[in-house]
Amino acid sequence: MIDRLSGPLSLRNRIGAVVALLAGLVGAVGVGLLWATEPALPGRTHLGFGVLVALCLAWAAYGAWTVTRRTPLFALDRVIAGWLAVTATGLLTAAAIAIAVVRGTWVGLAGVAVAAALATVAVVILVRARGRRAELLRRRRELEDPGDPS
Amino acid sequence: MTDELLVVRCQLGEREAFTELVRAWHDPIWTYVRRMLGPAEADDVSQEVWLAVLRGLPRLKEPGRFAPWLFTIARRAVANRLREEYGRPEAAAEGEPVSQDATTALVDRAELVAGLSGLPVREREILVLFYLEDLSVEDCAEICAVPVGTVKSRLSRARRMLRDHLTEKGYRR
Repeated sequence: MIDRLSGPLSLRNRIGAVVALLAGLVGAVGVGLLWATEPALPGRTHLGFGVLVALCLAWAAYGAWTVTRRTPLFALDRVIAGWLAVTATGLLTAAAIAIAVVRGTWVGLAGVAVAAALATVAVVILVRARGRRAELLRRRRELEDPGDPS
Repeated sequence: MTDELLVVRCQLGEREAFTELVRAWHDPIWTYVRRMLGPAEADDVSQEVWLAVLRGLPRLKEPGRFAPWLFTIARRAVANRLREEYGRPEAAAEGEPVSQDATTALVDRAELVAGLSGLPVREREILVLFYLEDLSVEDCAEICAVPVGTVKSRLSRARRMLRDHLTEKGYRR
């Protein structure tokens, strides 16, 4: 039975789905920002940007579907996913700030706001995941040494 | 090691703990599914059950109440399968005997199992959960999503039906 369940049991599969979600999301926002702040673009480049954003969104959607419907995220996976999310959204925020400074348009500022909001969500997810894991570790210790009050 | 500890370790993400959990609970689940659906579908449906367990484990709030939760999932999988079967035109009507696997019927409590398969689904289920899986009346109530009183009355009706059924077939005390 364990062999048949190896797909969802593989840590690499689960973290892979998280990476797809994050890379897609951060990529879509980043490329979208570049696209929106570029002053004058020929028609074909618009098409190219559009395709890139669509590809990123498709990966994000695939990752989100896998994470929410197909595969469980256990406590450790959530902490790893949280750190990945914080790193990815941190990089995105830095990039958005750079774009806003260079281009100096209101779209750039809106991009910083979006990136900062995503980064905040990532931090909240990480803090909650760490809290949940700590709680489970404490419960495990209690169950392993029922006599130990610490 | 208690189930609660195993479940907590699973929720933490320890793969070995999940292997142990499956090892400990595979037989009870398989037995339940086989009693409810027959041997032909026991493997498939138990696999569905374990997949659902794996997906649901991170959200299980009370690790100490693993057994009733597990059987609730198994019951849902069995109900889905029964619904699919009854949807097919050639399917047996509720309460008709589930076909028996010859070898297991021999080594098992043969007459009891044969009697069980002659009972309607609800009565069969309650006998399997209470007598074969050794679950408490409270756990049975939680799994079947009915009050404790209903479990008790269903149990007594099921016992009566089983007794009548066996008597009909010529078994006497």
